[in-house]
Amino acid sequence: MYQRTAAIVGAAHSRIGEVPGSSSLGLMVDAAVGAVADAGLAPGDIDGVLVRGPDDEYCFHQQLGERLGLDVAWATTLDNGGASQTLSVVLAALAIEAGLATTVLCGYARDAWSRTRQTGSRSGRMNQSTHRRRREWRDSFGYFGEPATHALGARRHMSLFGTTKEQLGHVAVAQREHATRNPHAQMREPLTMADYLGARLVAEPFGVYDCSLRTDAGAAVVVTTTERARDLPHTPVIVRGFGSHNNLSGWTSGEHMVETAARQSGERAYRMADVAPADINVAQLYDCFTYMVLAQIEDYGFCAKGEGGQFVASGALRLDGAIPTNTSGGQLSEGHVEGMLQIVEGVRQLRHEYPVDRQVPDARLALVSGHGGNTVCHTTLILERG
Amino acid sequence: MTAQADEPQLRPRRQLPRPSPESQPFWDGCARRELLIQRCQPRGHYWFPPAGLCPRCWSADFTWTPASGRGEVFTFTVYRRAYAPELAGQLPYAVGIVQLAEGPRLITNIVDCAPEDIVVGMPVEVVFEDLADGVTLHAFRPRGDQH
Repeated sequence: MYQRTAAIVGAAHSRIGEVPGSSSLGLMVDAAVGAVADAGLAPGDIDGVLVRGPDDEYCFHQQLGERLGLDVAWATTLDNGGASQTLSVVLAALAIEAGLATTVLCGYARDAWSRTRQTGSRSGRMNQSTHRRRREWRDSFGYFGEPATHALGARRHMSLFGTTKEQLGHVAVAQREHATRNPHAQMREPLTMADYLGARLVAEPFGVYDCSLRTDAGAAVVVTTTERARDLPHTPVIVRGFGSHNNLSGWTSGEHMVETAARQSGERAYRMADVAPADINVAQLYDCFTYMVLAQIEDYGFCAKGEGGQFVASGALRLDGAIPTNTSGGQLSEGHVEGMLQIVEGVRQLRHEYPVDRQVPDARLALVSGHGGNTVCHTTLILERG
Repeated sequence: MTAQADEPQLRPRRQLPRPSPESQPFWDGCARRELLIQRCQPRGHYWFPPAGLCPRCWSADFTWTPASGRGEVFTFTVYRRAYAPELAGQLPYAVGIVQLAEGPRLITNIVDCAPEDIVVGMPVEVVFEDLADGVTLHAFRPRGDQH
């Protein structure tokens, strides 16, 4: 049984947004150096590296380790899409508890905005057989892109529960409102519901504001023992519990697109942390698309399944709402760093770092989620102010 | 796609399926206007897309079985943005997940129906469309009867 041995002691990110001339490795280095400095630690303290970069970069952990001169006990690159970053914190906690490492750097970086300026594939190279299968079963029908995949889920949810486009819009509007107060956010212009409803459509029901951004950025955290954390500059953010669930049979199987893997992942995390949804003060939910926030709000038990639309429309995600969510803007407005900024924001909220117009008052427990891996993998962290 | 299903579509070469040994029987079936799906011998499970073993009991002992061609729309989306230049002329078009009467779900296009008229749960039936290069694709259109 996990003994709450691990705590996050450092958190940082690079510039976020449009950073011409950046590289994924350069952004990762910036974030890593920043996180270790934020932790009050030195390069020689790091004995674990768990990172992820673009899918077409081989062994990103080795590339980073070479730049930073790190020979470490515990290291890998993760390959679980948007569920990788929260999973890296879990793997760090497990390694620390098992005594395999003491101080682990976790992070993600991608020059996603800059890549849109280059010719060639946006999504990175897939191997031949994956490519062949996609071509055969998707491309042939004009089925391309992540928006359509998640739009299929949104449509089914709308059909089963009466969820409306405007309710999805409340997610986009609430998160953009958080971003307007975030000097680092990629999108800081206010977004009204009229703006949202009038947006260019992509794959119905999604328009451009339902979709996360393409961002150049890196972000990282440092995880160490709770004991050591108490000697370091910041208030420790203890990894109190975690869980995971992975519907590998597929997004279109069962009802996986309506009741996502967040449900079982959350149940395991709540059980390990010995907390209930009502105990969570702030949520950082993986928001590749507006719909995924709504689905997770339900799956995490903040409201009943099917009631997410009404719940978010009531203002629940706002700073003064029932469950302040993605409080720095999320991937819809702050920047898409494959969920890594959500971990950073969870840490900052629990440290009580922010002025009153950005701080969830007396935040003690944060829930952070990661979702991806072909849309079906999910990992949950429950973090506690130390 | 709103074009007639019996006219060959000018689909870009790079989007035409390239069958593998395990999927070839499916595409051969489409060319004969048969919707074939795999069924395992021990338990009678159906699955799609084609794979060398049953995903439920892992048996490699299966037959290619003609499906009824009937199903219903499990969910769908309508593309309004062209993901490749060649697709621009086809907008808007609908991609759907159809649940076959036999159980498996497949990715397909919903045709012969205005995008705004597609609903989850709509009964559909398979149609086949001959493309360039001797490839035949399936699509699904609204089904008149309610059975």
